Amino acid sequence: MDASEREQYRAAIHGDREAFEMIIRTHSRALFAIAYGILQNREEAEDVVQDSLVKAWKTRWRVRDPEKFPAWLATIARYRAHDVFRKRRTFPFSEDIIESVEREPTDTTTLDRQLHSALAALPELHRAALTLRYFEEMDYRTIENTLGLTNGALRGILGRALASMRKQLRPALASMD
Amino acid sequence: MATIHDEIDNWLAADLHGELSDEERSALHTHLVDCAACRKTHQENKLMNKILEDTLAQEKADPAFEQRMLAGFRQRIPQRSGLVKLLGDLMHFRPVQITAVAAILLVLVEVGRVITGENPALPRKRERYVENAQVPELPRPASVPAQAGGLAKSDELAAGRSKGERRIVTGSDIATAEQAAAKPAETPAPEVGNRKLIRNATVQLEIGSFDNAVQKITAFANEEHGYVATTSSEKQANGKLRGQVIVKVLPENLDRFLQKVRGLGELKNQTLGTEDVTKAYFDTDARLKNAHVMEQRLIDMLKTKTGKVADLLQVEKELSRVREEIEKMQGQLKYWDSQVQFATVTISLAEKDMEEPAAFLLKERAQLALYAPDVEKIYNDIKALASQRVQITNAQLNRDYSGHISARVSVLIAPEESDAVIARVKDFGRVENFQAQTERIAQGGSGMSENAKTRAKELRTLAEKQNGRVRSSSFSRDPDGREFANVILRVPMKNYNVLMQSLDSLGKVENVSVQRQDRPGAQIDEANAPADISIQVYRQGNIVSHESGLLATLRRTLAQSAGAIMWSLRMIGVAVAFLAPWVVAIVAAIWITKRVIHVRR
Repeated sequence: MDASEREQYRAAIHGDREAFEMIIRTHSRALFAIAYGILQNREEAEDVVQDSLVKAWKTRWRVRDPEKFPAWLATIARYRAHDVFRKRRTFPFSEDIIESVEREPTDTTTLDRQLHSALAALPELHRAALTLRYFEEMDYRTIENTLGLTNGALRGILGRALASMRKQLRPALASMD
Repeated sequence: MATIHDEIDNWLAADLHGELSDEERSALHTHLVDCAACRKTHQENKLMNKILEDTLAQEKADPAFEQRMLAGFRQRIPQRSGLVKLLGDLMHFRPVQITAVAAILLVLVEVGRVITGENPALPRKRERYVENAQVPELPRPASVPAQAGGLAKSDELAAGRSKGERRIVTGSDIATAEQAAAKPAETPAPEVGNRKLIRNATVQLEIGSFDNAVQKITAFANEEHGYVATTSSEKQANGKLRGQVIVKVLPENLDRFLQKVRGLGELKNQTLGTEDVTKAYFDTDARLKNAHVMEQRLIDMLKTKTGKVADLLQVEKELSRVREEIEKMQGQLKYWDSQVQFATVTISLAEKDMEEPAAFLLKERAQLALYAPDVEKIYNDIKALASQRVQITNAQLNRDYSGHISARVSVLIAPEESDAVIARVKDFGRVENFQAQTERIAQGGSGMSENAKTRAKELRTLAEKQNGRVRSSSFSRDPDGREFANVILRVPMKNYNVLMQSLDSLGKVENVSVQRQDRPGAQIDEANAPADISIQVYRQGNIVSHESGLLATLRRTLAQSAGAIMWSLRMIGVAVAFLAPWVVAIVAAIWITKRVIHVRR
C-alpha cells in the first residue's frame, strides 16, 4: 500500500468525505464482487454494497489502522451479504425467488445454470474469492488483503474452488471437449 | 513436504491465474510432462477457467456502477455542515468518547454529592438544618420562684445553676489542620517582597446559637484553607453559651474569611492588626548564622585540644552557651514562620440575650409594728419563737430616758412557717403597722424576663381571694417558646369548689385529678381542712402556633407534602448518582461483548 493510498484511508476515517467518495469509486467493484459471490444476485449485491458503504461511513471511526481499511470494508460487505442471504433462506418464498432468479435470464444456457449451482455449492469465502478473481482480475495478493486472508492461503482456496467446480461440471466439460 | 502432484489443484489454479514464479512454473510443467492424470486435470481446469471467465465477465458490475453507488451514498448520507459535523466527527474518536463519558460520570458524582450534601463547599442551609435537628438547643432554664406570705424568706430555684465548661479541640479540625498545613508548601506565606508579616484579627460577635456559629466558622475556615485551632465555650447559668474560637487561615484569605464571619451575627468589635517582623526575623537569621560559625569554631578549638584544661573547660562552657542560643533563635524563627504562614483570627462569640437571667430570687420582707403594754414580755415571747425555721438575726431592746421601751427584732423565717409566725406575732399586741414588700432579684444576669408569668400571678390573686395562699410556684420556658408555670396552692376546704370554678375562667382545664387523704384519729374540721391544689399552667409555644381548623390543616398538609417531594427528589438524585455508573458500565460491557461476538463471527 503506497503512502498516498494510506493517507486517503486515514483522511476518510477522520471524516473526509471526498476521500471516502474516492474510496467508493475505487473499491465498490470489489465489494460488489464479494457480495455477488455470496448472493449470486446482482440487485441484492448492489443493495448490499450500498448499505455497506453507508454503514462504513457511519462507523468509520472504528478503524484504527488505515491499512486495514479495505479489508474492513470487505468484511462489512461480507457480513451484510451474509445477513441478506440468511434472511432470504428463512423467507417462505425464498425457494421460488431463487428459482425465479436462476431461471430468469432468458439467454441462460444449461451450462450457465450448472455453473451457478456449482458456485452456490461452494463455501462463501471460496465464492467471494472466485468472483474477486474473475470479476476484477485481481492478483492474489490484493484478494488476500481484501478478504483478510493470510499470505498464501488464497492459492489453496482458489485451487480447491476450481477443483470443486471442475468436478461438478465434469459432464458438461466432457461434452465441450 | 507436499509434492506438486498432491497439490495439483492449487498449482494449476495459480498457473492459470499467472501467480506462479518462473521456477514454480517450470517445475509444474516438468511434472505435467511426467503425469498423465495431472495433465488431464490441467486440461479440464483450463476449460473451467475459460468458462468462468466468459460467464462471470457478463455478471460483473456495469460501468455506471460506481456512479450509482456514489449517488446512493450521497443521497443517504447528506453532507452536514459546520459545528454539527465537527462535533459529530469528534464524537467518533475513542479519546473524545472516553473523555465525554468521564465528564458525564464526574458530573453525576458531583450531582450526587450535592444532593447527599457530602461536599462541605455546598449549600450550608441543609447542614444547618440537620444540626438543628440533631443537636437541639440546650434548654434555657428560667425558673422563677414566686413565694408569698413570708416575713422574710428566700428561695432559689436555679436549675441552670450548674456551670458547664467545655474546651473542645475537635478531631476533624485537627485533620483539616494537617491538610491545610500541607498547603503552604505550594502557596508560600505572604511575604510581600520577602517581608515577614504576622496578621492577627479579633472579632467579637453576638450570635443566635453558639454551636451553629462554630460549625459555620469551621466550614468557612475549610473553604479558606485554614483550620480551627481551638474552641472553648462556657455555659452561663441562664443556659447561654459564650466562647472563643481561634482560627488559622492563610493570610491572603484573611479578609474574605472575616467578611464571611461577620455575616454570622451582630458584630460588636473587630480589630485587625499586622505586625512586621521582617527586621527582627532577618536579624535573628543573621545572628543564627553567626552563632553557627561560632559554634563551628569552638568545636574546632576543642578538636585541636591545645591549651590548658581550664581553657578547654572555658571553651566547652562557651559552646554550650552558643548552642543554647542557637536553639532559642531557631525556635523563634520557627515560631515566626508559623505565625507568618497563618493569620490568627480570634473570634469571641456570645449568644444573644446573654444577660437574660437564669432565675429570679424572690424575697419578701414584712415589717410589723406592734403596740403592746408589756414590751419586755413580748420581746421575750418573740425570742422564744426561735427554732430552726425561725431564726432571730437581730434583737434589741431599748429604753429611752422617758421610760419608753421599744424593741426591734429581725427574724428570718422559712417560707412555709412565715404565715403562722406572722399570725402569732400579730396576736401579741395591737398591730400598729404592717408592711409587706416583695423584692425580686435576678440571678445569673440582669434585666427582666418579660415572659408571661401573668397566669401564675393571676392564680396567686385568685388563691388569696379564696383565703388560701400559694405554697410554691415555679416558672420555666422551653426553647421553642412553650411556657410552664407550676403553682401549688393551699385553700380551706370550703373554698375549694369556688376556686376550681374560677380556675375555669383562666383557661382551658385539661386534666383534673382529685385525691383525698384522711388521717384517722385526727380531728377533722371539714370546712377548714387544707386542700392542696397543684396547678400546672402552660402556654403553647409561639413558634409552633397552636391552630386548628381547615386552614391550619391545609397548611400542615402542604408543608408535609412539600417536604416529601423534596425528600423524594433527593432520593431520586441519590439513586441516579448511584445507578448511573452501573448503567454506563453495563452498557459498555454489552457493547464490548457484542463487538467480541461480532469479530468472532
